[in-house]
Amino acid sequence: MSIPVGHYQYDRIDRDFLQARIAEFEGQVQRRLDGTLSEDEFKPLRLMNGLYLQLHAYMLRVAIPYGILDSRQLRKLGEIARRYDRDYGHFTTRQNIQFNWIRLEDTPAILRELAEVDMHAIQTSGNCIRNVTADEYAGAAADELVDPRVHAEILRQWSTLHPEFTFLPRKFKIAISGSPNDRVAARFHDIGILARPGEDGAPVFRIFVGGGLGRTPVIGEELFDSVREEHLLATLEAILRVYNAHGRRDNIYKARIKILVQAIGVDAYREAVEAELVQMDLERYRLMPEAVAAIRSRFAVPLLEAPADADAVLAQQRRDDPLFDRWVRSNTHVHRDPGHIIATISLKPAGGIPGDATSAQIVRLADLADAYSFGEIRITHLQNVVLGHVRKDRLRDLWLGLAEVGLAEANIGLIGDIVACPGLDYCALANARSIPIAQKLGARFADTALQAEIGALRINISGCINACGHHHAGHIGLLGVDKRGEEFFQLTVGGRAENGAAIGTILGAALPEDETVDAIARLVDCYLGRRESGETFLDTLTRLGHEPFREAAYETV
Amino acid sequence: MKRPVRLEPGQKLVLTANRLLDGRTVWWCADGTWDLHIGRAALLDADEAEAVLARVVAEAQRDGVVGVYDTAVQAAVPPEPVTVREKIRAHGPTVHPEFAVETEQ
Repeated sequence: MSIPVGHYQYDRIDRDFLQARIAEFEGQVQRRLDGTLSEDEFKPLRLMNGLYLQLHAYMLRVAIPYGILDSRQLRKLGEIARRYDRDYGHFTTRQNIQFNWIRLEDTPAILRELAEVDMHAIQTSGNCIRNVTADEYAGAAADELVDPRVHAEILRQWSTLHPEFTFLPRKFKIAISGSPNDRVAARFHDIGILARPGEDGAPVFRIFVGGGLGRTPVIGEELFDSVREEHLLATLEAILRVYNAHGRRDNIYKARIKILVQAIGVDAYREAVEAELVQMDLERYRLMPEAVAAIRSRFAVPLLEAPADADAVLAQQRRDDPLFDRWVRSNTHVHRDPGHIIATISLKPAGGIPGDATSAQIVRLADLADAYSFGEIRITHLQNVVLGHVRKDRLRDLWLGLAEVGLAEANIGLIGDIVACPGLDYCALANARSIPIAQKLGARFADTALQAEIGALRINISGCINACGHHHAGHIGLLGVDKRGEEFFQLTVGGRAENGAAIGTILGAALPEDETVDAIARLVDCYLGRRESGETFLDTLTRLGHEPFREAAYETV
Repeated sequence: MKRPVRLEPGQKLVLTANRLLDGRTVWWCADGTWDLHIGRAALLDADEAEAVLARVVAEAQRDGVVGVYDTAVQAAVPPEPVTVREKIRAHGPTVHPEFAVETEQ
């Protein structure tokens, strides 16, 4: 079997570990079924294997390390959706996939099927270091300075079953990017890492700590500007040790690292980390160039060859087909190779469920990845799919193939590209439904020409304060709340997860569900009516302030 | 200690849980079985629910259910849960009408 493009190639040690882990879980399931284990005893064990109990059934969350899959893995996910679920899967805001209708007794068999393609559901739940996320354009984007995947894989290997960090005060999320344009929401993670080349060409890492969303949204603060590669693991180890020792375990709502950093201040936190580093055996954690090279060698490099006229072919096709041109404008990104382009495939059809894909669509995406992008697929934290290395002269053929399965929506980064958590339709934690309001908004702004006219505008929706829909980071954010049994939505504006990260500002009192879509339409109208040439929604909001938008939202209330 | 249940006029309590094997939402019936359909659930007064709940919780492992609790319903035919959450549990996700519990045997 050839080495996959884009992600690490497992070896026998990795595979033996997965089989041992599945056998262990199979025994735990059996003991739960025969009553040897109580539900209280079993719950943390199943969560360590990604299995939640939601409103209607068990939900299995499968890890997609740094969001990258190969086609056989994606095909397997499609098979699991068809065979064990209700023929669809849901891509999440942490680059994973969840299946909503799983049977407990099927779970060991599913995990064995996943292991056949080097996948698992570890680190998708529990108070551990969760699946590490990375830039969806890693290794492909023209603006990238350092390919973050090798270091993401090193972090995966370091964090998986880390004996000190399996029972942290609370879950812990790390994101890494190697681009100056933050596409991983680095400032909203427990640790956000931005890699860049150092003076000697070796990568150095800027590290933020204490970011997060949830009930206490906080923008992460810079802890270190330039951590050398050899000290990356030691530094992360020290950050985690300080958190593990001093993070609050008495109150689940105050247990994340952001609360600790806010409580003692980032300078004190840095001092604590430096003190930890002084007494650590740094040799043990030194990341040697040979080790990095060994990991890098387990990633295949795509052979990027394109005809000399690939660019001209694409340009002509765009001139000939306005619909295709519109899709290219919104759904592609500049590749580092001039003959190639990055294609983002929207999982946000107008009126559809954000992030959902049927098994047929999933399998078709695998086929298209084989045909057009070296069999490699990336899942984005915005619930879309990326094919990273598409030849420009073949892009239109890809687009036509996507259209055959309803995946050619031209709305990436536009108002139809809505991020939404599963909400109260599935989630045991939710207070309100996220998906129906997303569907209504998607239908309201279904016209892709209108979306293009509105321009960059991101709507994020969460069904509860845990903020899995990242509502704080939406240009327009919606938070579902329950008021005496009725669904209401609190509106925020001005959030952003990209460079210049900001937490959205609450506009006013929560609106009844049936008034929310109209209120957002008035917000958009306010922007369209008052924007100046070239302004995005955020630009106009910044220039005018919140008041005109607040007045528009509450105009009829 | 369990909080006292306050029922509005016309409301009763039903007992609900998830099935251990597949996690499906189920409702406790007067014959001691668990059913997918809330229409078959036993309607309980607040003063009798506490004792029944304690007995059913004690038998949860034998009956293959987890997370037993009571919830208020309008005592209609079929009974309708009071909260949005329990309505969704009773009928299935609102975004997939093809998965409505009512369509299942």
